[in-house]
Amino acid sequence: MNYMPGTASLIDDIDKKHLVLLRDGRTLIGFLRSIDQFANLVFHQTVERIHVGKKFGDIPRGIFIVRGENVVLLGEIDVDKLCDNVLQQVSIEEILEEQRLQQQAKQKTEKAKVTALKDRGLSIPKADNLDEY
Amino acid sequence: MFRFQSLDEDCTLEKEEGLVEEEDEIDQFNDDTFGDGAIDDDWQEEHKRLAELEERKNDGLGGLGLGGLGMGGMGGGDSSTVQLPPPASRVPHPSSLPPPHHSLSSMPPPGLEEGGGGDLAESLAMLILGADPAIASVGGPAGSGDRSTGLPPPPSMPQQHHHPSQLPSHHQLTPSGLPPGPLHPSLLSYQQHQHLLRRGGAPMQQMNSHNIWENNMGFGPVSVTPGLITQMEDSPLMSIIKEVGLPNRPPPVMSEDGRDFSERAPPPRSSSPVIGSPPVRAVPIGTPPKQPMSHAMNHQQQIHHPTTVHVRAPVHHQHRYPPSFPERISPNTLLNMANSPLCRPPFPAGVGPVLSQIQRAQMLNSQVAGFPRGCQGPPLLPGGGGFRPFFGQPPPHRMGPHHNHVPCPIIRHNTTHLHPQHRRMLTQRMQSRGGERGGRVGDWRSRDPYSNLMTQREKEWVAKIQMMQLQSTDPYLDDYYYQNYFEKMEKRQERDRDGVRKEHTTKLITPQVAKLEHTYRPVQFAGSLGKLTVSSVNNPRKMIDTVVTSRTDDEEKREKQVWNKRRQILYTVEKMYSLLLEVQDFEKRFMQTPEEQRETLLEQHKTHTLQLYASLKEKEWDDRVSDEQCLLIMSVRKGKRLISRLIPFLPPLQAATVVMGIARNLHALAKKDKQDQALCWLVEPVAVVISSLSSAALTDLLQELQGSEGQLSKVLQNKFGVTLLYLILSEGERMQSSDLNCQLMDDNRWTELVFSVTRELLNVPPSSLSPPLFTPPNLLSLFSRYVDRQRLELLQEKLQISALSR
Repeated sequence: MNYMPGTASLIDDIDKKHLVLLRDGRTLIGFLRSIDQFANLVFHQTVERIHVGKKFGDIPRGIFIVRGENVVLLGEIDVDKLCDNVLQQVSIEEILEEQRLQQQAKQKTEKAKVTALKDRGLSIPKADNLDEY
Repeated sequence: MFRFQSLDEDCTLEKEEGLVEEEDEIDQFNDDTFGDGAIDDDWQEEHKRLAELEERKNDGLGGLGLGGLGMGGMGGGDSSTVQLPPPASRVPHPSSLPPPHHSLSSMPPPGLEEGGGGDLAESLAMLILGADPAIASVGGPAGSGDRSTGLPPPPSMPQQHHHPSQLPSHHQLTPSGLPPGPLHPSLLSYQQHQHLLRRGGAPMQQMNSHNIWENNMGFGPVSVTPGLITQMEDSPLMSIIKEVGLPNRPPPVMSEDGRDFSERAPPPRSSSPVIGSPPVRAVPIGTPPKQPMSHAMNHQQQIHHPTTVHVRAPVHHQHRYPPSFPERISPNTLLNMANSPLCRPPFPAGVGPVLSQIQRAQMLNSQVAGFPRGCQGPPLLPGGGGFRPFFGQPPPHRMGPHHNHVPCPIIRHNTTHLHPQHRRMLTQRMQSRGGERGGRVGDWRSRDPYSNLMTQREKEWVAKIQMMQLQSTDPYLDDYYYQNYFEKMEKRQERDRDGVRKEHTTKLITPQVAKLEHTYRPVQFAGSLGKLTVSSVNNPRKMIDTVVTSRTDDEEKREKQVWNKRRQILYTVEKMYSLLLEVQDFEKRFMQTPEEQRETLLEQHKTHTLQLYASLKEKEWDDRVSDEQCLLIMSVRKGKRLISRLIPFLPPLQAATVVMGIARNLHALAKKDKQDQALCWLVEPVAVVISSLSSAALTDLLQELQGSEGQLSKVLQNKFGVTLLYLILSEGERMQSSDLNCQLMDDNRWTELVFSVTRELLNVPPSSLSPPLFTPPNLLSLFSRYVDRQRLELLQEKLQISALSR
C-alpha cells in the first residue's frame, strides 16, 4: 500500500506477526496492531520467547506497548514458512530454569575471571548497564 | 477477550425477588432507582406494581416473547406518552431472560424457544420491526404478541458457551427517563430505512438502547439486515459477536439532555496564541485523530425523534464533515447500496465512527469478507495543494483496508515531493503487485478479529507526520543524491527510447511545499499602549524584544573613513612626537655621552630634526610646508601641541616656513579651533619666530595671513589669529620705528596690507573680534601712522588700545 511510496514505514506491517528484539535482550513475538511516529509499537497476543541453547520457551504476555527507542530490530514472521526444526520448544518452567542456570554459569565464569585478574593485579572495571551513560 | 461489562458494582443493590435475577438487569434497575428513571414513589409500591405487571404479562402474553411486551414497553420508554407502566416494569422480564452466562437453552419464554433453531433471519427482522415502538403500539398487545412469537433467540443461541453476549438482554429496556439509543441506520440498510420512512407511520424510533443488539454506544448490533444475516451466518462478524460479545453500555451518567459524557472527548485543546481563542481549526501536529462525530446520527435523531440521544459528544470537524447524512455517502457507496443492498453491510456512512474500536475493526473485517472484490473504495480525496494537519476529508465510511483490493494505484497528493520518475516507478510496481497480493492477504486479514484496530485515519496520520519530516523547500539541498539519481535515470531512459515516447520526458512539476513562517504577532488592541503578549506552548514568551538596527553601507563606509583618517593622523603625530622627544632629549644625552660619540650623536640629532621637518614639508619644495600635512596635523589637538614644541627646534628658515604655513592655513584652522583654542599654544614659539623674521618675510607673513578675501575676518575670530596679527603688526612697527632703513616701506606691500588690515578691523563687528592673548603696546603707533584720527579713535575703541600703552 503506497502510503508513502519510496519510504520505509511500519504501516504496512500492521496486523502482521512480528518478532521484535528489545534493547534489554528480550525477544517478543506478537501481532503488530498499532504504531506511531516514534515507532512505538503495540503488540497483541504477545509472547516472550526465551532461548537457551537449542531450547526455547514461550511466555504469553498479552498486550505489549513497546517504546520506540527500545527497539533494536523488528521483523515480520512468515506464518506460512515452516518452523525451525532445530529449536525445541519446552515448557515455561523448564526454560526459565534453563535460563537461570545459564545466568548462574555466566556469573561464575565472570567471577572466576575477575578473581584471576585480581590475583595478577589487573582489574577490568565492569561495564554494566551499557545503556546508561 | 472482551467481557461484557459485569455489573458487579451494582450487586450491592438488593435483589428483589422476582425482579432481578440477572446481573445485566441491575444496571437497568440501578438507573431506575437512582437515575433518570427513578420515580419518587415508594419502591415497595413500585415493586408491587411491577410484580403485578409481571404476572399480568406472563399470563396475558403467554407465549409472548419478552420482546413483545418489551417492545411495547419500549414504546413507553419514549418521552412520548405511553400508558404502559414505567420501564421498570420491564425489569421483570429479565427474569425470563436468561442471564448471559446461562445456557441459552434455558431461555424461558416458550415463544422464544421455538425460534431456537428457527430462521434466524426472519426472527431478526421481526425483532427489528418489533423494535419500533410505534409499530408496537399500533399493533397493540396482539400485534406485539404476534411479533414476539417470531422473536428470534439471540443469534448466539446456538452457541451455548457464549457467555459475554448481551443479546439476551434485549429486555434491558430503557427506563422512561433514558432516551433510547439512537436508531441506527445501522440496523437497516439505507433503503429499508427510507422505506420505513415512507411508510409514514412510525418514524423509526430509536431502538431501545437496551436492545439485545445494543453495543457500547447503545446502538444495535453490527448488522441486522435479514438478508445479510443469512449470508453471514458464519461470517466473521457473527463469530466475533459470538466470541467477543457486544460490550454492555457503561452505566449511563445522564445529564439533562441525556448526553453520555462519560465517553466525551476532552474539550479541544486550544493551541492558538490568542487568549481564549477557540480551538484552532487546524489541529496541531501532536494530536492523534479523534473519533469523528457522527453528525448523521444527530441529524437522524433530530428528524425522527425529538428526545435526546446517547451519542458521543460531537467533535467539531465542521470543515471536514458535511452535516447531512446522505451527502456523506460517496457516490460509489450509494451506487453499491442501490445495486446490492444485501451485499452491503447495513451501515451507511455515518455510523462507522461511532462504534467502538473493536467493532469498527470487526466491521471492516466483515466488509472485507463480504465485498465483492471488484468494488472500489471511494478514491482518496486529494489532500489539497499543500499540507494540512489532517488529510483532506477521508470519508469516514471508506471501507476496509484498501490495500487489499486496489486495482489502480492511489496517488496521494501529499507525496508530491517524490520525484516524478520515482512516482511512476512506484505506481507501476504497485500495479503489478496489487493483483497477486490482494487475494491472499485479504483472506487472512478477514479471519483476524483484531485487525484494523488502527483505523485508516490513524495510519494516515502517522504517515502524514512522517511525510512532514520530508518536506523541503529545496530538494536539492535536502536530498541531493536522490534527485540526481532520478535525473540520471530519466536521462538514460530518454537516451534509450530515443524520443519514442515523448510523454515520459515531459517533466512533471511537483509543487513544493513552502515552509510557512509561523511568527507570532502579538495581539494589539487599538488605542492601547504596547502589545499584549500571550504565551502558549507554540509561542513561548519573549523575554527581550530586540530590534535590529542596521546602518546602511554608505554610512558605515563614511564613518569608517573618518575614523581611519583620524587614526592615520594620530599615528603620524605620534611618530613625529617620538622624533621630537628624541630631539628634545638631545641636550641631556649630549651631556652624558663621552666626547667621541658626541659627533655621532650630533649627526643623529640633525637627521632627526630634518626628519621632523621633512614630514611637514611639501614633497618637492623645500621651503614650503605641505598644506595638507599641516592641516591634517593641526586638526588634531595633539598635532597642534606638537608643532608648538617642534618649532623651537627647527632651524630658523624651516621654522619660518612652518609659521608661514600656519598663517596660510589659519583660516581653516581657526574654524576648527573654535572650541578649545588650542592654537594658542603656538603663540610663543610663533612670536619668537616672528621676531626673527626679516621684513620681507614679515610682509609675506602678513600677506599669507590675509590671504584671500574674507580670510582675515575668519582669522580675527580666532584668538590666536588676532594675536598673530598683532604680533606681526607690532613687529612691523618695531621694525619701522627702530630701524630707519627697514625695507618694510620699500614696496607698498606692507602699507597696503596694513591698510587692508585696518579696514578689516574697522569693518569687523566687535562681536566677532576675539580678544587677543595680549596686545602689543606699539599697535597704536602703527595705526596712527596709517589711519586718520577718526579712524584711529575708532580703532582704539574697538581694539581697546589705550593711548597710554604707547
